[in-house]
Amino acid sequence: MATEVKLPRLGQGMESGTIVRWLKTEGDAVAKGEPLYELDTDKVTQEVEAESDGVLLKIVIADGEVDVGTTVGIIGAQDEDVTAILADAQGGNGGAPASAPAEQAAEAPEAPTAQEAPSEPVAEHPEVPEPEETPVRAEGERVKASPLARRIARERGVELAQVVGTGPEGRVIAEDVEKAAIRPAAAPAAGAQPEFEVVELTSTRKTIARRLTAAWEAPVFQLTVSANASELVATRERMVELLREGETKPTVSDVLTRIVASALVRHRPVNANFVEGKIHRFAAANIGLAVAAPSGLVVPVIRDADRKSVQQIAADRADVVSRARDGKLQLADLEGGTFTISNLGMYGIEQFVAVLNPPQVAILAVGSIEDRAAVIDGELSVVPTLTMTLTCDHRAIDGSEGAEFLRTVKQLVESPALAL
Amino acid sequence: MPELTYREAVRDALARALREDDRVFIMGEDIAEMGGSMAVTQGLLDEFGPGRVRNTPISEMAILGSGIGAAIQGMRPIVEIMYEDFLTISMEQLVNQAAKHRTMSGGQVSVPLTIRTQGGAGWSPGAQHAQQLEAWFVHVPGLKVVFASTPEDVRGLLWSSIYDDNPVVFFEHRTLYPIKGEVPDELEPIPLGKARVHREGTDVTVVATGRLVHESLAAAEEAEKDGISVEVVDPRTLLPLDEETIVASVKKTTRCVTAHEAVTRGGFGAELAAVIQHGAFDWLDAPIERVGAKFAPLAFAPVLEQASVPHAADVLAAIRRTVARS
Repeated sequence: MATEVKLPRLGQGMESGTIVRWLKTEGDAVAKGEPLYELDTDKVTQEVEAESDGVLLKIVIADGEVDVGTTVGIIGAQDEDVTAILADAQGGNGGAPASAPAEQAAEAPEAPTAQEAPSEPVAEHPEVPEPEETPVRAEGERVKASPLARRIARERGVELAQVVGTGPEGRVIAEDVEKAAIRPAAAPAAGAQPEFEVVELTSTRKTIARRLTAAWEAPVFQLTVSANASELVATRERMVELLREGETKPTVSDVLTRIVASALVRHRPVNANFVEGKIHRFAAANIGLAVAAPSGLVVPVIRDADRKSVQQIAADRADVVSRARDGKLQLADLEGGTFTISNLGMYGIEQFVAVLNPPQVAILAVGSIEDRAAVIDGELSVVPTLTMTLTCDHRAIDGSEGAEFLRTVKQLVESPALAL
Repeated sequence: MPELTYREAVRDALARALREDDRVFIMGEDIAEMGGSMAVTQGLLDEFGPGRVRNTPISEMAILGSGIGAAIQGMRPIVEIMYEDFLTISMEQLVNQAAKHRTMSGGQVSVPLTIRTQGGAGWSPGAQHAQQLEAWFVHVPGLKVVFASTPEDVRGLLWSSIYDDNPVVFFEHRTLYPIKGEVPDELEPIPLGKARVHREGTDVTVVATGRLVHESLAAAEEAEKDGISVEVVDPRTLLPLDEETIVASVKKTTRCVTAHEAVTRGGFGAELAAVIQHGAFDWLDAPIERVGAKFAPLAFAPVLEQASVPHAADVLAAIRRTVARS
């Protein structure tokens, strides 16, 4: 006699659970106490054991959330007919409350003698209840398909799991696959549109769109370097310790801005604009800082960063960033940049590639400071590491020029005192 | 082209062989004056005399044993076992001797013996005179096994069996003796191991033997009315088996029914199904259906007998199952 496998109540207050996967497949022999499937409750994931010996005749529910007491499978004797019990169980699963009494096990009808079945007239064969309107089987459910159907599916690249089987017991037969191969796979209903929200472009967004699209015209290349940031971090910490009242607390970025400014004035090819076929090289480093403002990306400029103290840069930066967030930036705040730093380190981005900010010829993308294993003097040690990527406009800068600039930045990051 | 009954076709092959070849002789129970219990050998005694048409004692073991001895000595004996049920008595000679000598002697000895026998239900012979035991002998290396279903086939295959250098168990079906069919004027030997496609079709292949060839052809006619195109193939020789023709047919139709009068379990259909699933696995669009008798000793009562053995309706039902939609 077949017995139903019902979802057990594993703890007080448990009303349902989610079947993660079956550990047995239909047709497998199971022994009482053997793990049958994995069940995920809101507290734990655990294996549920079989409560009887036999053969797993049917997996009624392959996966997904199921109420306690629902029939999820049937265990019985080999070749036992489960159609009646299945119909019962499915009827029960539909209507019965989750707390319905578990013991409703129905008697399975006597199995027909197998060797006589083939010679029975077709009319004497029990009607197999049709799984109506189940377009596609549950995920992970075994696909019943004839060998021919499988071969055609393989040859034509048809996903068998998506094919409705019209053969006996829902078996996918060749004709089903041939029909599916002609139909476009899982096309959405005609005219159906996914839902979306229309967002008008703000003027800032329009500017971003225009300028960054223009940036794609520049032939760019990228160079990446990693630097030991121990000294950078230490320097910034000392500055914070020595902070006087009323002063803005400098960030690592502020120190980095100062370092980059020093490097820029030493490598003037990088501190330049490309305007109408000419390169404008600047003596002063006016460094744009990419800031995420509510209206979109803005790049206020810290002027003469090469001649300012870190403290001054911190104050300037605090000013423009707060005004950027309040939407109170003046056009003057955004103009005259000779170079841009984009820092996503605070988001945990290790490294990335920034898009050029035209007409500037270079932009530095700064990642987070990550502890990395490094070999120093033959010893393995943990080094806080800063990874930076320089995007260069090849019309104005050659690889060697960009590399020399980056090498200087790396040296100054590792020995900030040299920049200050 | 003359029309002969299946019985006459067997007799014709025997008479021609006796006439043309001094090495040929026939022996069996009541085959001489009586002409055999199925009247197959009627008239042969008159033409060929008691030296070549020999009655035997009721001892199947002796019939087989003496046939083997004569064959080894260079004769082409044809022995008759009145009912294939009685082959069980001669098993030692057939399975342990006839089938083995050629191999065990390293080819120094051969046993060109033909064992004619018949069986089959449909006339209330009871459980001991109608079995279909051909599958037993397909399991024995060293034998060849033939089961002919038409007058033309039975004559051409019997000739090839007589002239094969191995022992051949040659099955005839009791209810096929009166059926008529055209046979060529000249006896054309039909090679052993060559199947016959009786009817071409595109949806289902029925591989049938003996009486079930005719039942299957009738079922195919019925299926045709429903738009199901059935191909009917008769292997004719069960051992060796023409796997190539059968597998090619199933590859074409993608579905298969096996049909024989013998009980389904352990029947020749099981061997066919194994050959087909292996040879045409990626072409099968439905499980292979087997048609055969119910697994029970055959009942004497005509109604029960008819209910036990398969008919065209059973083949048709199996055909429908292979093309079924749920």
